[in-house]
Amino acid sequence: MFGYYLDLAWRSLKRHKVLAALMTLAIALGIGASVTMLAVLHNLSGNPLPGRSDVLFHPQVDPRPVDLPGAKDEPPDDLTYIDALNLYRLGIAPRRAVMSRNWLPVRKDAPDSPLAMFTDRATTADFFAMFGVPFLYGSAWSAQDDASHAQVVVLSRAMNQKLFGGEDSVGKTLVIATKTFCVIGVIDDWNPQPRFYDLNDGAFGKAEQMYLPFFTWLDLPQDYGYGPMDCWGSNPEAGGHDPKAKQCTWAQFWVELDTPAQVADYRAALVQYSAQQQQLGRFQRAPNVRLRGLLDWLDAKHVVPVTVRMQTWIAFGVLLICLVNTVGLMVAKFLRKSGEIGVRRALGASRRAIFAQCLVEAGVVGVAGGLLGLPMAWLGLWMVRQQPVSFAASAHFDPSMLGIALGLAVLSALLAGVWPALRASRVAPALQVKSL
Amino acid sequence: MRIFLQIRPILAALRSHKAAVLLLVLEIALTMAVLGNLVFVVYGTMQRSHTPSGVTESQIGLIQSIGVVGEDNPGTVAGNLAVMRSAPGVEDAAYGFLPLWHADRSPLFLDASRQHPAVHAYEFMGSQGLNRTLGLHVVRGHDFTDTEIPDVMDVFMGRLSAPVPVLLTESLAGRLYPNGNALGSILYDGTKSLRVIGIVNHLRGEITGSASDDDSLVYEFRVGAQNMGGGYLVRSQPGRLPEALRAAAAALQKANPGHVESKVLTMAELRENYFKSDLASGRMLVAIMLILLVVTALGVSGLASFWVQQRRRQIGMRRALGATRRDILHYFQAENFLIVTGGVALGALFAYALNLFLMKRFELAHLPSHYLLVGAVALWVLGQLAVLGPALRAAAVPPVVATRSV
Repeated sequence: MFGYYLDLAWRSLKRHKVLAALMTLAIALGIGASVTMLAVLHNLSGNPLPGRSDVLFHPQVDPRPVDLPGAKDEPPDDLTYIDALNLYRLGIAPRRAVMSRNWLPVRKDAPDSPLAMFTDRATTADFFAMFGVPFLYGSAWSAQDDASHAQVVVLSRAMNQKLFGGEDSVGKTLVIATKTFCVIGVIDDWNPQPRFYDLNDGAFGKAEQMYLPFFTWLDLPQDYGYGPMDCWGSNPEAGGHDPKAKQCTWAQFWVELDTPAQVADYRAALVQYSAQQQQLGRFQRAPNVRLRGLLDWLDAKHVVPVTVRMQTWIAFGVLLICLVNTVGLMVAKFLRKSGEIGVRRALGASRRAIFAQCLVEAGVVGVAGGLLGLPMAWLGLWMVRQQPVSFAASAHFDPSMLGIALGLAVLSALLAGVWPALRASRVAPALQVKSL
Repeated sequence: MRIFLQIRPILAALRSHKAAVLLLVLEIALTMAVLGNLVFVVYGTMQRSHTPSGVTESQIGLIQSIGVVGEDNPGTVAGNLAVMRSAPGVEDAAYGFLPLWHADRSPLFLDASRQHPAVHAYEFMGSQGLNRTLGLHVVRGHDFTDTEIPDVMDVFMGRLSAPVPVLLTESLAGRLYPNGNALGSILYDGTKSLRVIGIVNHLRGEITGSASDDDSLVYEFRVGAQNMGGGYLVRSQPGRLPEALRAAAAALQKANPGHVESKVLTMAELRENYFKSDLASGRMLVAIMLILLVVTALGVSGLASFWVQQRRRQIGMRRALGATRRDILHYFQAENFLIVTGGVALGALFAYALNLFLMKRFELAHLPSHYLLVGAVALWVLGQLAVLGPALRAAAVPPVVATRSV
């Protein structure tokens, strides 16, 4: 029966080419707009590190004073220097990394080479293995290098291209903030989106150009800032030139915990640490800790830009309008077949059969609309990528969106077809056959 | 006037197509609701991107010069400003802040206890001559004199003995002192006490569209032999900004070989960067608006051509009974006008409902009624354009059709 209905639908659409084309185009435009925005939303709220996101956790403790006006219950995102150091030394997680974003003046270790500012991430050895950073040349530094404040640097592929023309620069030296650093590795392009490990400068943007050992970086002159710093208390200059200031949070901290038991142990250790700090008088608040997994952390931070959420709503509004439009066209389309339907009814077809036949026709329009909508969505995403906004670069067409686009198109066409099909199935056979 | 005589028969004919007419009205109403709000959002963004900051933007450039600790840095702030001023095309130079560049609000207090901030405002500070370089207009009180401003080190080290003289924008003065007694008043920020010596007309820290963008204060400090990195501002002679900025940057680099000039930007470039993402999202919305208009036009002309097909015989009869081609054309045009008018009326309600939702969820402003009028006109025009093709085809139906059986 289905095959027969398909055949009928095909013939009927061929007979009224203009109406069929209009319906297909309306659905295609709606699908194109909504799938574009859906794909952007999907990319922006996607998993930045598939495969590793389950084992990465973001510990937070609360060192703030009790009477901080306007303070929320959520502890600060980042750690103070002292807490970062203490948690780093806690050593019960299989891997952990303390880090901060910064920028530093760099030049090649040669006379008269020009100075330029480059962004850097100061971090500890486990960063690369924990986050699965791919290396092009050389390797990461070791925990031993961290402990000995070694003057080594890992370059991004882009910075290596800029300074050394892309060659294997391991062993070459750079002057960073007047100190000489040895290149120990070069990483391949790596920029997980959203940039979960440090959301202070926005969740979507460029990765840092180089990576330095955290404790080596602390030895450099502290005149170039420490990324966004959050301070409290009466001294507004707190931390101005001292990252070790007690009342300023600025260091990001991540741990890898491989089993639920490790997670539970770590959470207990955070509470215990907070209680101990409270006893020592450093913390004023009762233990207020968080240990969120990577994806929970992104959820809690609401990383999707508000303009994107608004545009997604609007795109679905457009789909709705396209559907109303399609309903109107389908009513016209099916009414036009009244004579034909009358004959089928007179020959014994049930109302249910007519309804099914019309719905199959709607489905065919949906499939066509979906197929035409796909290139439109692809075009839409291309347009999004041309926009000079930070999240634009990550807007790409995911294979899973193919299925969603087609499914959405067929579903919308069927929904739009229900009422016109019902009307068509109620056509009185006698009246139609008489007028033939 | 014959067109008005047609209205009753049109309404009667529409009654027998209730479903299709209702759907068309609904579609136009939904289009109107979305369109009205989108035009509002996009126009708001465009308008915002042209809001003046209050400084002479066409003549101002920024050089962000960062001192590298340990490198050879012989330059001093006063010396740096002197070499910049002597660069060709440069009218004035200063060290300090400018609008749309890392502007941040800080709390201001009316009493020294600093318990409750009266308002949060943008604080612009810089070397002597900052307000001349920015081109601020003092409308009341007086401008800074070099003898009354404090020394930069006293400001940074908190060694001030007297309140720092400040200029307030009219907007900030009105907010802090609604009675108009701003001049001579003392107020406090986080660290200092400030004395109001004058009022400038406008100075916006950011341009978010809020009235509080214009809540700013300016103070100057005396600079001399200190070695300071940061924002160096150039004011060029009219029309010579690009070359003057380039020359000043080169002179500054020569005087400070150990500095990195990480940013050299004209105010126009700064503004472009600032509005980049807003304008990008505006372009996306324009694309969505176009899709919407196309879909609505498709729906209108699709249904209209269906009706024309269906009524070929009636049209033939009317023609045979003496109706002119023009009468038939006007019939379909009037029908379309009536349907769109119904859609627009319902759409105005939908538009307000959608606006309420967007206001709640995305902090959109209240939709002014003239946007609805623009939306209505747009839809009337669109409807007439969409119906023109089918209506012309109807007008071309020959009277002889009436005599044939369909």
